[in-house]
Amino acid sequence: MDADTTHDLEPAVKTIGARLADAMPGARHTPRAAVERRVMGAMVADPELRAAVFRFVDVRPACADPADLARHLGELLAEAQDSPLARRGAALAGGALTRRPLAHAAAAGVRQMAQRFIIGADARAALPGVEKLWRSGAATTIDLLGEATVTEEEADSYAARCEAALLVLHEASQRWDRRPLLEADGAGPIPRVNLSVKVSALTPLLRALAPERGIAGAEPRLRRLLRVARDTGAHLHVDMESFDTREAITELTLRLLGEPEFADGPSAGIVLQAYLTESPEHLDRLLDWAREHPRAHPLTIRLVKGAYWDHETVEAVQHGWPSPVFSERRACDRNFEALSRRIIDARGIRAAIASHNLRSIAHAAAYADARGRDVEFQVLRGLGDDTLAALLAAGRRTRCYAPVGDLVAGMAYLVRRLLENTSNDSFLRAQAEGVDLTTLLEAP
Amino acid sequence: MTAVAEFVNEPLLELRRPEVRAAALQALAALDAQLPLEVPLLIGPELVRGEAFASVDPSRPDRVVAWAHAASAEHVDAAVTRATEGQREWSSRTAEDRAATLRRAADLLRGRRLELAALAVRECGKPWPEADGDVCEAIDFLEYYAAGALELHRGRSLIQLPGERNTMRYVPRGVTGVIAPWNFPLAIAAGMTSAALAVGNAVVLKPAEQAPACAKAVVDALHAAGVPHDALSLLPGGDEAGKALVADPRIHTIVFTGSCAAGLSILERAAKVDPGQFHIKKVVAEMGGKNVVIVDADADLDEVVPALLSSAFGFAGQKCSAASRVLVHQAVADALTDRLAGAVRTLRVGPAEDFATDVPAVIDAAAQMRVRRYAAQGAASATRVAAASEALPPGEGFYVAPTLICGLPDEHPVIQDEIFGPVLALQAVPDMAAACASVEASRFALTGGLFSRSPKTVAEVAARTPVGNLYVNREITGAMVGRQPFGGGRLSGTGPKAGGPDYLLQFVEARAVCENTVRHGLVV
Repeated sequence: MDADTTHDLEPAVKTIGARLADAMPGARHTPRAAVERRVMGAMVADPELRAAVFRFVDVRPACADPADLARHLGELLAEAQDSPLARRGAALAGGALTRRPLAHAAAAGVRQMAQRFIIGADARAALPGVEKLWRSGAATTIDLLGEATVTEEEADSYAARCEAALLVLHEASQRWDRRPLLEADGAGPIPRVNLSVKVSALTPLLRALAPERGIAGAEPRLRRLLRVARDTGAHLHVDMESFDTREAITELTLRLLGEPEFADGPSAGIVLQAYLTESPEHLDRLLDWAREHPRAHPLTIRLVKGAYWDHETVEAVQHGWPSPVFSERRACDRNFEALSRRIIDARGIRAAIASHNLRSIAHAAAYADARGRDVEFQVLRGLGDDTLAALLAAGRRTRCYAPVGDLVAGMAYLVRRLLENTSNDSFLRAQAEGVDLTTLLEAP
Repeated sequence: MTAVAEFVNEPLLELRRPEVRAAALQALAALDAQLPLEVPLLIGPELVRGEAFASVDPSRPDRVVAWAHAASAEHVDAAVTRATEGQREWSSRTAEDRAATLRRAADLLRGRRLELAALAVRECGKPWPEADGDVCEAIDFLEYYAAGALELHRGRSLIQLPGERNTMRYVPRGVTGVIAPWNFPLAIAAGMTSAALAVGNAVVLKPAEQAPACAKAVVDALHAAGVPHDALSLLPGGDEAGKALVADPRIHTIVFTGSCAAGLSILERAAKVDPGQFHIKKVVAEMGGKNVVIVDADADLDEVVPALLSSAFGFAGQKCSAASRVLVHQAVADALTDRLAGAVRTLRVGPAEDFATDVPAVIDAAAQMRVRRYAAQGAASATRVAAASEALPPGEGFYVAPTLICGLPDEHPVIQDEIFGPVLALQAVPDMAAACASVEASRFALTGGLFSRSPKTVAEVAARTPVGNLYVNREITGAMVGRQPFGGGRLSGTGPKAGGPDYLLQFVEARAVCENTVRHGLVV
């Protein structure tokens, strides 16, 4: 699409964006979210406190008992010497009478926060949340959190949990009311059950220098999950992870989906990370593949910004490599929009736009409307609740990415989301800080 | 002129990109077409041949990588005579000239990155990432010491009182004997040699018997860059050459990296002053370790397991910095043991050039036998053992299965001795104090690791540990020049740290001059 047409899109982007902003419930409707927003605000303004809080959240599941918890909290707060708030906290954590209650409160705070991001301890426990979302008009994709996979046994156990989740969800979904918007688009029916899987959890053999080992290791387990998904009519979505694993994940997914065995199903998808500077070329590859491999269900491409920005940057800097990710937010946002347009336009592809950036969402919506194309929006449970409400109010097809797991398993996920939410480039942070709508909706 | 402050490490190859891996394999094929190489003695401008010995590929010992010529005591004598001449010329050059020469050598190595990495892959069985790291570190040492020598040349300021002018300058100590190891065949040879050269010393280099071709590549680059042949000789060979070099009364400094036993015997011999020798030899020795990683109850085991795998089994554990023991808090000992054992089982043993290899062959048949003996001895007394589950590759390669051995008593040789192979011993401890006490009881103090998320524990262990390099919540190998100066205490070495700001001081003497500036009672 040329510059003139994108320029013509701007009025529609602004209108849609403004309507979505209006439809956001905001802090006044959810007091707990308001408290959290204040906590986030305090952390944003106080980097040392922010570090202490992250480290506490990170170590929380490894603390043996309340005394151990109090000890860690006190030490971490004491490290943040330049933060008055942390100093006050450290004093409380050191006080004989205050340490236990403070540790309890901190532990409860972390648990509560985790619960907002995590929909249930396992698939069955997640059902009420999933069904509530369905009733409200939102589809879900379930992501099973877990410890890193370093052994074959752990890979087996993750695969078994995935399979069990597919079966549990399949059975429950039979009883759900019809939701036409969520169950079909112009390309045909859309499965009710949707599971996101991580290749790094399906094998301990992922090696950056030898993608073939990870592919061979994960292949039997992913194949089995694809069969279960096909047989239960579910959608299986392969998540993308760090850059080191991109080749193995892409190659494995496309190789399996290209097999005749899976030509008629299941519905499946892959992820494109817009923060990678090479993502346009990567999309070429995905689109070429889709053209050469017609399947009964079009390949879904979920476009995300990417969640490993710090990791990729640190890795590149420490090794002396050019960074694989955009260093400038606007360049990244522009790329996100360019990729959105290409995915929305592509034949034989379902577009899923996963973002909390109101501008990126409004842009994709305006573009899909203008082109008369289908699009699905995706948001993260916990982080994107307001966005979800606004999208539902606007009648947009929306899916909520809902992590499932216990507190221990959820912590790495939680830390990553918290970091994202309080980073300088965070759209949600800008929004929470009251940046005006015109600025938020500006073309990048 | 680049100052030390502006030093930047040479970027590693981005081997995670397929096109970079393809280029590396192409370089390897090109190298293979030239094998075997020849490594003569380089004594002054002359190429001298002696008794030839083979340097072979540890993954395939029937592949001769180089025929090298072994130096005899007479060759050493001739080389030191040349070096005494070379010392005069090289030390009379300006510091800037010498630094520029070392930087040209760094550029030459930079221009041969893939070829040199391929050589380390072949000659020492170093897997690609480590082989490339070796090339980069060689380049880093040349650049870092060039910059450091310039800084040293500017001198340090002294207290000046009225009526006197105080100055101090650094002068080269004299002819330096370098005895290099095979495990960092490019980097350590280049590092020890270039440190001596940077501040104006002539060098006689005796590389490890297993790595003469790599050493020659370094020496060739230095000669091509303009280091006079008299100022740098290369003497491949074994014990005889090493002993003669250490004993020569014209040698002023001996720089050694290798085993503890060899290091101690060098120190002993070097302490003897021969008739006609008017100086005390200085020995700079790096002598290995028995490196312990401590894992506290609050550690993130997701991070611990991969870090232990790479620290203990990367390059088959043949790094001075490699992890050979884990002391884990009993509260998480079972969980860690299960996960680590399962992870060890996934490791693939194979040829160094294969990017899918996790653990390559060890350096030679003697090492293979030694490691197997320790592994068997450990297994006999262990509560639990886990090893790579895939079969070892066929053929004559010096392969050993990476092995985790649990529950050995403290006095067991597997706990006490430096094995220098892919064997990791795990023991549970009741608390961090017991872990620290166990580390303190060791003869060695090179590297160590700690996994803990308690700031207080990190501070306490860091304050208490005797090791030269402590790594917190990460793998314990891979020290970078200028960022993690490397070297230990106790029987791990004499210090100071290689790739750090103090290293060059070992190669110079300070001369102070105080001049009276008073004339006829007036300060002028």
